[in-house]
Amino acid sequence: MLRDVIGLIDCHNCPELGPLTANRPLASTSFLGRFAFIDFCLSNFTNSEIGNIGILVKDHQRSILKHLGNNTAWLRNTKTGLEQILYNERGILNPPYNHDINNLKENDWILYSSNASILVFVDPHIVTNIDLRPIIEEHVARRETMTMVYSQVEDSDTTFLNENTVELDEDNYVIHTEKNDGSRKKRNISLSMWIINRTGLAEIIQRHGTVNPLYGLKQMIPYLLKVSPFKIHAVKHEGYVRCFDSLENYVKYSFELLEPKVYAQLFRPDWPIYTLTHDTPPALYGKDAEVTDSFVANGCLVQGKVKHSILSREVKIGPGTVVEDSIIFSDCALGSEVSIKNALIDKYCVITQRQKVVGTPGETTYLKQGAIK
Amino acid sequence: MSTKIAAMILAGGKGTRLQALTRKVAKPAVSYGGKYRIIDFPLSNCANSGIYAVGVLTQYESSELNTYVGNGEKWGFNGVRSMVSVLTPKQTEEGSNWYAGTADAISQNLDWLDRIDPTYVLILSGDHIYSCTYNEMLERHVRSGADCTIAVYPVPWSEAPRFGILITDKEGTIVDFQEKPKNPKSNLASMGIYIFTYKTLRSALLADMKDPKSEHDFGKNIIPKMMEEKKKLMAYTYHGYWKDVGTVASLHQANMDLLLDSPGGTNLYTVQGTNRIYSEDTYSAPQYIGRKAKVKDSLVNQGAYILGSLDHCVVSGSVLVEEGASAVNCVIMSGATLKKGAKAYDAIIAPEVTVAENETINGAREGIVLYAGGKGK
Repeated sequence: MLRDVIGLIDCHNCPELGPLTANRPLASTSFLGRFAFIDFCLSNFTNSEIGNIGILVKDHQRSILKHLGNNTAWLRNTKTGLEQILYNERGILNPPYNHDINNLKENDWILYSSNASILVFVDPHIVTNIDLRPIIEEHVARRETMTMVYSQVEDSDTTFLNENTVELDEDNYVIHTEKNDGSRKKRNISLSMWIINRTGLAEIIQRHGTVNPLYGLKQMIPYLLKVSPFKIHAVKHEGYVRCFDSLENYVKYSFELLEPKVYAQLFRPDWPIYTLTHDTPPALYGKDAEVTDSFVANGCLVQGKVKHSILSREVKIGPGTVVEDSIIFSDCALGSEVSIKNALIDKYCVITQRQKVVGTPGETTYLKQGAIK
Repeated sequence: MSTKIAAMILAGGKGTRLQALTRKVAKPAVSYGGKYRIIDFPLSNCANSGIYAVGVLTQYESSELNTYVGNGEKWGFNGVRSMVSVLTPKQTEEGSNWYAGTADAISQNLDWLDRIDPTYVLILSGDHIYSCTYNEMLERHVRSGADCTIAVYPVPWSEAPRFGILITDKEGTIVDFQEKPKNPKSNLASMGIYIFTYKTLRSALLADMKDPKSEHDFGKNIIPKMMEEKKKLMAYTYHGYWKDVGTVASLHQANMDLLLDSPGGTNLYTVQGTNRIYSEDTYSAPQYIGRKAKVKDSLVNQGAYILGSLDHCVVSGSVLVEEGASAVNCVIMSGATLKKGAKAYDAIIAPEVTVAENETINGAREGIVLYAGGKGK
């Protein structure tokens, strides 16, 4: 285990996914029927042997606590490891000040109680699988204060909006960074993945007080780069990276993983994604079930047709029912002869016999949690 | 502090008739139902019954089973004042001894039981498939003041000669027993599940250890001896789904019993209610059903990747069924691959084996076969 490192999952900078994140943070929003977004960050830490983990929660703490359970599901060793929710009560009462720097100041005990000299920040809405060990090794070997991970994005006019762009000098140091305004298709963009020395972070926090109390890390870093000789070394990450920054992209990237080539990029046998177990039995298909091009989670009971769709845990699909191009969250029950097309159905919905929930390919219909139709 | 009840799960058997499936793995660790191992059932039943002390007695090919049981965390036994102990044969001052029989396995662990000091001891088999709690049986045992209560299962009369049969009076007191009788006097088969009052069990086992003629078996020695001694033995009739899988065909059948329209109507998944069966979490990727896939009348676990067709199958995680491959009436165990154009009928495909391209398994459909491979992955 890398005992010199604290991994921090920063939920402060997550975008909203429309109605999906009205009552839950993006970090614990359901993805592909069996994961929450935070699972990918936690699994990257676990697989990279980072066992000291803090989760900087912005709001809807309830939902994160529920997902994390007993706080040990992602630890290789439950004694030497630590999974801790970091929550800024004062920030909740004063939203403009509810950012990651204030959260860290409020929860500075995690720094006092550890000898770790390196902090790794990741954001849950940027989904990737990345081995952080070689990046940390390089960071240490080069004696950097701060290392940033970036990717070359091919469609930065429609995604990674509001993330920071990266311009580098020939030695791979960041010379300029600004908010991606979507004006160009191809750009180098920061994954908001930072490796920072403890002393470097202390300096950022110290200077924060004199700069702008409303700034979070994502604003402070470009500012410091502009006004001072602040050096950030950049490391390029190749492979699967997606930024879940809108409901449209959530739907698009979910379905994109039905493509075997994309699936193989994210789900690698040597890089398992850990999540909470719910002790549900395998999915059960009836005699008249017809399922193609879909993800089906455990606990599902399918008696109808399912095409190009994602079924989460314990979804029941009645006989004669047709589900197409749709995402159904856990514990939903669909009666017989129901039609669902281009829909996103949130948890605990009940759709009774012969009802229709139909959207269009351009606009997914959303049914809120617990709806009965 | 005295514990009310401790469970002892007998999990040392070899399960020879399961052929290659138990060559390197003890029978209780054999895969079942797409995501489970057989021992998940008795262990989950103990957890759901509020039993906090469980001993798992292992012997044959025990390393995988011992590792799997671990500290019992998978079934929640890592809680406060809860425990699962894996009890293997050991060296002692008297020498080293393998477990010579079901009763001997318990006798050799009396010191473990003494430390727990239970009032009652539940003896279970590690290779039975059923979902229940033992609470009602224990309640009956306590209320009747019996020395031993034996769970019985009504079998069809025609099958009674295959079992140990118990004959009871109106109150359920056992008055006689027959071991695999030609002319059964009852159809109540012993399930090999016993609740003993610990004091009685302890003295019965100590006496049995000194008896040179004993085979140290519960069914053959301990129970007959207790009947001889006029101890009070009660029968408790169990009515739910229960399977003792001994052969490849019966393991196959027990898997098929889980399908939605199985004729027995014994679908564990719709009747289990709040008593879930707990198992290992395999951290699998989502289950993917491909564009040209056909999946019907099947049970498929997370992590399976199905591009071909499945009809009447039970499929574990990490199984790959390639495009154009098909399986009918098969149990496909964890990590197995069906290559392009492979066909399998009425078979159990063992874990981690590969069915080669265009290979056909049991094309003649002669009974249920076990395919344990040969060709590497």
